[in-house]
Amino acid sequence: MATFKKITLQEAAGLINDGDLLSFSGFTIWRRPMALIYELVRQQKKNLHLFEVNGGTHTEVLAGAGAIKIWESCWVGHELYGKLGEGIARGQVEGSIIVEDYSHAQVVARQLAGAYGLPFFPTALSMGTDILNPKYDMLGKAGLRDGSNSKIPVKKYDVVKDPFFGNGEILMMPAVNPDWALIYASQVGDEGTVRVFSQTYVDAEVVKAADKVIVIAEEIVPDNYLRREPEKNLAAGYAIDYVVECPWGAHPTGSQFFYDVDADFIRNFYQVSKSKAAFDEWANEWIFGVSGHEEYLDKLGINRLQNLRANSVLGYSTTVKRGTR
Amino acid sequence: MTTGNINYAKVGEYKPIDMLACAAAREVNDGDVVFAGTGLPMLAIALAQLEQAPNAVCIYEAGSVDGRPIHLPTSVGDSRCAYQASIAAGLAETFYGQLHCGYVDLAFLGGAEIDMYGNVNTTVVGDYAAPQKRFTGSGGNPDINSLARRTVFIMLQEKRRFKENVDYITSPGWRIHRWPSGEWVHKKEVYGKYFFGGPTAVITNMAVFRFDENGVMYLDTVHPGYSVEDIKNNVGFDLNVSRVNGETLAPTYNQIDLLYKRVDPEGIFLP
Repeated sequence: MATFKKITLQEAAGLINDGDLLSFSGFTIWRRPMALIYELVRQQKKNLHLFEVNGGTHTEVLAGAGAIKIWESCWVGHELYGKLGEGIARGQVEGSIIVEDYSHAQVVARQLAGAYGLPFFPTALSMGTDILNPKYDMLGKAGLRDGSNSKIPVKKYDVVKDPFFGNGEILMMPAVNPDWALIYASQVGDEGTVRVFSQTYVDAEVVKAADKVIVIAEEIVPDNYLRREPEKNLAAGYAIDYVVECPWGAHPTGSQFFYDVDADFIRNFYQVSKSKAAFDEWANEWIFGVSGHEEYLDKLGINRLQNLRANSVLGYSTTVKRGTR
Repeated sequence: MTTGNINYAKVGEYKPIDMLACAAAREVNDGDVVFAGTGLPMLAIALAQLEQAPNAVCIYEAGSVDGRPIHLPTSVGDSRCAYQASIAAGLAETFYGQLHCGYVDLAFLGGAEIDMYGNVNTTVVGDYAAPQKRFTGSGGNPDINSLARRTVFIMLQEKRRFKENVDYITSPGWRIHRWPSGEWVHKKEVYGKYFFGGPTAVITNMAVFRFDENGVMYLDTVHPGYSVEDIKNNVGFDLNVSRVNGETLAPTYNQIDLLYKRVDPEGIFLP
């Protein structure tokens, strides 16, 4: 029996409160819950606190819209299609966004602790870097490590001596347990079993670490189909709270075996992300100028989408032009 | 120039990016477990696998282990990375299941700024607490560089990038701070049991640099068409040039052919 509630994108975005701590599925420009991100902007969410392994196009849409107050992560950009995260960078330089930097593996350590119900996770990765320089603890500098926000640990990290084997010092990274995991998944069963295709990134950890989970699914399929090969599944149905069925819901990011990254769309977005005025104009066209996801897809048009469609054997498009030749 | 039966291209017959990719590819030993970032590192590992290192394997942090892409990936999260991989998992597997437990021989990474100890900045220009400009950020660069036995950085040669002190140490070189005290020590003092190695080469569009016994960068070879003086003029610290070992081998015609016809025929990273 399904334990999740099937809802619309509008209802899903409506569940998110200003100031909530959000985390996401995917990696840079792959499998991001874009349709839900657009809806958050349409509903004018503010002061969001993001914790993510890296930022991508979804982060930059939220940053451009002025929706982010705190960004805890380690990298933001659009890979080959836009080398910087202009919105986050502008927010950091202007001081409108509090940026707390980690390394990838330190973010993963925090997510692993959160996912497994542990208070912290040890790691030797990226010791000796300015990420650990106490001068650069930006949440601390903002007075946000006083324990009043249960989602912000009182220390960025700790260093402990190995108590068991005498192997010297190691970092302890605190657990993260976001209010929400916003997940784009390839398939969700009618009982909520989640499957993603190809690399799993940190999707399983993000699901498990969050208090509540919203999945926007490329398709809903019979659970008994997913249960024929349980080793391919990412999460059990009881971990999922809400599901939105939303084909092409990751566009313009890519979804393996469904569609490729829309490089032209992201390249154009990267250009507009460089100024607030250009972003606003873009948002008026692509977010506020359409009533919702269906109209967004109509605007993209069938030919554009067809060109992105993945080859069913290889898992990516063989027709999309990627380079200069 | 011909050495044995190998034909090296002449200056003007290859582009700077070809030189970077070919010089980087030569750093790969057959059988190496290579952990690579997006861009030039992908060209270098793919080229090495087609030449001297057919048994080198590649890990991309987003989750693919030992993939055999038949189309060049555009980023490490690309599904093309996972084609014919032995494992397609996630970051917990690549960072902890492969890197932290000590499988990785060689890291191929980029950087915006570097100092003489191989500390790299990919985070900000200026004081981090009030930066003038933000770059992409660390990503997995410092993680991979932390525990790989050897790291090769691929960078642009500019005075403002080769600095006495980088604005922010994103990725750890041979001498680093022990936090939270801030004591300036050799990497092995901080990493202890987890000290496996560190930066071994920096390859730019003008030269190849290596690191001495004390973890200090020195000029190793100069690319054809450049002089030691050119390099010194494009380094912002007092560069050790006492160990210069001649000219960097130019790309071979075979390498250039492989790069443009086999590795990146679509022109994704190559012009």
